[in-house]
Amino acid sequence: MQGVSVAELGIKYLGEVISRFNGGCIYLAIYFACIIFLCIRGNKRDRKIFVPMTILLIVTVYNPLFPLILSKFADINSEYYRFLWITPVIVLVPYMVTKLIAFVNNNTHKRNEKYLFIVLAVLILLTGSRFIYSVSDFEIAQNIYKVPNELIEVSEKLHEISEDKYPKAYLEYEYNMQMRQFDPKILLTIDREDYIYAMTTPYSYEMIEDDSHPQYRILAALTRYQHVDMNRLCDAFDATQTEYVVLSKGSTMIDRLVERGLNIVSETENHVILKYDLIEKKPFELVDYSEVYEKGW
Amino acid sequence: MVIYALLIVIINLIVFTGFGALITGRKGMKLSLGLSLIVGFFAYYGLFFIVCFPFMVKYRPLTWLTKTWLPIVLLICLIAFIIRRNEIVDAFTRIKKTLLLNKGDRKSIFIILFIILIQVALVSVTYNFTLDAAYYVSNVTTSLETNMINVYDPFTGNWQDHYEIRYLLATYSVNDAVICQITKLPALIYTKLVMNIVVMILVNTLYFMIASYLLNNNYKQTAIMMTIMLIVNMTFASIFTSSLFLLTRTYEGKTVVGNLSILTVFYIFMSMFNNDGNKETVTHGCKIVAPWLLLFIVSFGSMTISSSANMVLPAAISLFAVPYMIINKTLRPVLKYLLCVLPGIVMVVAYILYVKGVFVLYTYPVF
Repeated sequence: MQGVSVAELGIKYLGEVISRFNGGCIYLAIYFACIIFLCIRGNKRDRKIFVPMTILLIVTVYNPLFPLILSKFADINSEYYRFLWITPVIVLVPYMVTKLIAFVNNNTHKRNEKYLFIVLAVLILLTGSRFIYSVSDFEIAQNIYKVPNELIEVSEKLHEISEDKYPKAYLEYEYNMQMRQFDPKILLTIDREDYIYAMTTPYSYEMIEDDSHPQYRILAALTRYQHVDMNRLCDAFDATQTEYVVLSKGSTMIDRLVERGLNIVSETENHVILKYDLIEKKPFELVDYSEVYEKGW
Repeated sequence: MVIYALLIVIINLIVFTGFGALITGRKGMKLSLGLSLIVGFFAYYGLFFIVCFPFMVKYRPLTWLTKTWLPIVLLICLIAFIIRRNEIVDAFTRIKKTLLLNKGDRKSIFIILFIILIQVALVSVTYNFTLDAAYYVSNVTTSLETNMINVYDPFTGNWQDHYEIRYLLATYSVNDAVICQITKLPALIYTKLVMNIVVMILVNTLYFMIASYLLNNNYKQTAIMMTIMLIVNMTFASIFTSSLFLLTRTYEGKTVVGNLSILTVFYIFMSMFNNDGNKETVTHGCKIVAPWLLLFIVSFGSMTISSSANMVLPAAISLFAVPYMIINKTLRPVLKYLLCVLPGIVMVVAYILYVKGVFVLYTYPVF
């Protein structure tokens, strides 16, 4: 849960976590309403199963002081919401609805009363829930590998044009995250954490000029379109051994890179592959552990 | 390829059932196939961690691990299907009888199967872009490409001089690599198709067990409850809910913890609560023998699947165990309870010490 911190929010942290966790859904509220119902009208077995653990949940996980205490031992900022998974919403809410349906069916309710139940249930569903594919797009995979077809094409082209077994490339965000899932022979300039940072935060001048992190300069120029001296950008390519740059055809950086001497060596429908001639190329090799193995365990 | 992948799904389910039958079954007693499948899943990953760990920290090749692990699995399954042959056959006979005897039940069971099929189809064909896949799947492809375990950075492919503790203790994706090496299935197909289907079947099996238990084996109502469970999962959507994880990031370790581990703990305690502290609890006509042992296996297995379990599972177990002991007015299970939460505590302590630099595990020998 990015951007939520116990240190900043203090006792309000839990409320923010629950709010983000719910995302506009009211299932947690329905769960606690079901617990109250169980306390009043539930049978002994159901009360025993659900009520004591929920009381303990309220005292601990749903206690605003609990994250404050936990944070003294470990960094729980981004993961506290996983404690909310313990709440058995997926069991109790459907169980109570099923009981309600059975109750309505088994009793001599008038037809309009039955309709009232149904309308209420539908209303709750419509107003208090959010369809999963409104949060995560529903998209049928283009192929059995579940990566874009064009990513496969980029991978093939990189191997076609490269003499190395392990070509190293700068890729744009989505391809960077997916390329090695499909093709581990492609080495990547940018790791996940650096990319996540770059997607949300601009780089300072000091960061761009920091030679110990040349990838910052690449991300500043190619992802954030910040001003970076092209010679310094090429220094970063050398420092990171980045021989290939794959950009969307719409990228304004393509012309600047070509002007600086990179060559367009291949393209796909929507992407361009540029090659940078490294000053000193150091081909990647796997570490040889055979001597270690000879010495036994 | 798809048919071959589906065959691997079935083999996975058979292997987990074999592991579970050995643990949950007893000679002459009714065996719960569902419980065997689920407990077997956690037992499998728990044992895999124990076998994998020395290979990993001694930077041995993945192929060595594969050649060690495969005979172990085959042997355990062979023993399981020999020792529990009668109980497994009996379990299938009972299922067959349920389907044959009652037309209403048969209809309900088919509705339930249809609901499961919808979910399996959804997670099989959809495309989801998630950042965590950059680790989960890339770690499999990287292990296969380099023939090493966790030595190379899955995000970039670079060699790492030390192990990342966050991933070192969760060997779930290493198992994916081992199975890919055995089956020759591409990592993306194994993780995002085979494991998607396996996890979805396991979760729905558990849903079925919980629903039919709560509804006293009324299959018509169970079918209704499972339909509503599907609706809740489909409509309880923020990027943080376990429902969203289940339907969009099915194969990930976190999803297993959020949807399977926690609910398995719930199921075992639910059975225990109903039996007022009897040593052997009864569910679906099948006795749950040694429920605390099962809880330990679920707890330990979950830790090896995702580091998310390290804090969540001890919390989940505590939330049920404490009321259980209070309601039954007994402190006798305290030691068993502590043993169940111990794996999580050990993992958390190891993690904190590693992060604070108290110890480090290098990917090469330090003399």
